[in-house]
Amino acid sequence: MALAGVAAPAIELRALRKHYGSRAALRGIDLAAAGPQILGVVGPDGAGKTTLLRALAGLLEVEAERSIVLGFDLREDTAPLRAKLGYVPQSFGLYRELSIRENLLVTGRLHGLPDRAIAARGEMLLGRTGLRPFIDRPAGALSGGMKQKLAIASALLAEPRLLVLDEPTAGVDIVARDEIWAILNERRAEVLIVVSTSYLNEVEMCDRLAYLEGGRVVAAGSPAELRAATPFELYRVWGAAPRAIAREARELAFVSGVAATGQYARIEVPSERSPGEAAVRAALERLPGVVLAEAAAIDIEAMMRALAATASEATPVGARA
Amino acid sequence: MNVEPIIRVDGLVRRFGEFTAVDHVSLRVHAGEIFAFLGANGSGKSTTIRMLIGLLRPTEGSIVVDGIDVMAQTRRVRDHIGYMGQRVSLYQGLSLRENVEFYGGLQNLAGQELDHRWDRLRERFALGDVEREAASDLPAGVRQRAGLALAILHQPRVLFLDEPTAGVDLVGRALFWELIQEQAAQGRTVFVTTHFLEEADYCDRVSFIDAGKIVADATPAELRERTGTDYVVRVTGPPTGLSAVAAALEAALPPRAAKVTVEGAQVRLRMGSLSPERIVALRTAAEARGAHLLGIDPPDMGDVFRVLAREAGETAS
Repeated sequence: MALAGVAAPAIELRALRKHYGSRAALRGIDLAAAGPQILGVVGPDGAGKTTLLRALAGLLEVEAERSIVLGFDLREDTAPLRAKLGYVPQSFGLYRELSIRENLLVTGRLHGLPDRAIAARGEMLLGRTGLRPFIDRPAGALSGGMKQKLAIASALLAEPRLLVLDEPTAGVDIVARDEIWAILNERRAEVLIVVSTSYLNEVEMCDRLAYLEGGRVVAAGSPAELRAATPFELYRVWGAAPRAIAREARELAFVSGVAATGQYARIEVPSERSPGEAAVRAALERLPGVVLAEAAAIDIEAMMRALAATASEATPVGARA
Repeated sequence: MNVEPIIRVDGLVRRFGEFTAVDHVSLRVHAGEIFAFLGANGSGKSTTIRMLIGLLRPTEGSIVVDGIDVMAQTRRVRDHIGYMGQRVSLYQGLSLRENVEFYGGLQNLAGQELDHRWDRLRERFALGDVEREAASDLPAGVRQRAGLALAILHQPRVLFLDEPTAGVDLVGRALFWELIQEQAAQGRTVFVTTHFLEEADYCDRVSFIDAGKIVADATPAELRERTGTDYVVRVTGPPTGLSAVAAALEAALPPRAAKVTVEGAQVRLRMGSLSPERIVALRTAAEARGAHLLGIDPPDMGDVFRVLAREAGETAS
């Protein structure tokens, strides 16, 4: 097992590019990740997240100055790399007609594992995922959350050093999402997990984030680092009619974004436009029906929105993840 | 509310063979409400929606939408409702504008009237730039906004949105919810499902279906109260007088309404419910003692639903 910071990085990409015909999906990805951790790949639709994950899984022909994953070069034959990693694609990657037991068996044999090892590891994974009671059910008949858990169990069967997951929790309910993240959390000390997600609470659970926009990594760091670097202020404004408050607040010159829950309005103010926290709060408290305007800590939602707002013109703030 | 609900569902049942997917569901939705209909995968959510819009016949029960019996007058109800699913159905070979003409035609809308309605929607929904593009080239967020625009082209009184923000990025989701709230402010009723639980907070009322049964139906604030997930009110004050501030804050609330603790330089109040009146009472009490109400941390909607799902599981077993 490689130690973080001692052995060669598990992922080292410099100026990685991918074109589909004349369209550039990746325009020069710089990304490095050393040892085991959860690396979240985030960003808007069309930023290149799925393409990057497929490239990491050795599924694409790419151009790059450097493109090393687990010691293999993505520009060369990637068959040996693919044997060493687990990959869970966005679309269904299981054998529908086969049962859970058979899916694990086929996947294990493809990785060259002896049947006894498959049975032993499979047993442990079935326990962890809560799939054991359904072991003889065809994969095609499982619920969305169970399918994803089986796909992850299959990907973990050969004990890969790298696990690549493309939106594993999309369309999955919160209970199953929690179970999937419990599996990832158990592995984060042993496996480098690269995962894309659009759920904010999952973004928060990553050790590091790489924010993609237009085929480049435009920001990277831990969620806390990226939150601290967010050039926005966030306010919560409480009152009896938050939607009306939000509408009024949108008219204020320094406000860039509003949202209304049943109890408060969320108000985002870019730091460069802010007249200062006290002045913003005073202005918000003058709106009709406001009982409290508070300056709130930057949350993941505000961080992601700020990145989206600034990404297009931003220079990369760092690309080491 | 005494007003007749715009959606009234009574004793709705749907069986598939031996399996009961929807088990005596009753719902009331009032005009202009944003009503979130949530549940786990396989809970009966989609089956219920398919019955509400007249795509699937119930085994038992009644559904009245905007005064129309959906089972008796399935065709007529379609003039009164708009529907949009997870994957918006746009004709891929056509441009967005051509899709508008096509959908308009289905609703007997054409010429100046269609142009007039579309012009306004195109503006507000930020679709002007992509109007001439092929529907197949639209990114998910734009496609969903276009889907919403098409679903309201015929100005239905009730909108059914089944996971409209699935696969849409954060910025796209925020814009989408602004548009939904605007539609509700104009009196349109919105019945919506989502897996993004923070979005439940943008709705007026939330119901939760589990194993075919409704296990919760309340405002987001009431759900927080019921599930015991607390608001935390943070107050700072003079370091020597914090316990006096704590006592004054406690006295400003009804008995046992909050758990009050002094933690470091702050007084913290944990409470299951919080109204604007309570905020005013706490603020007044704090400021009278030279203290300052710093802020309020609302409970995470995810936690609210974790509790509901656990309770439902316990009841079932």
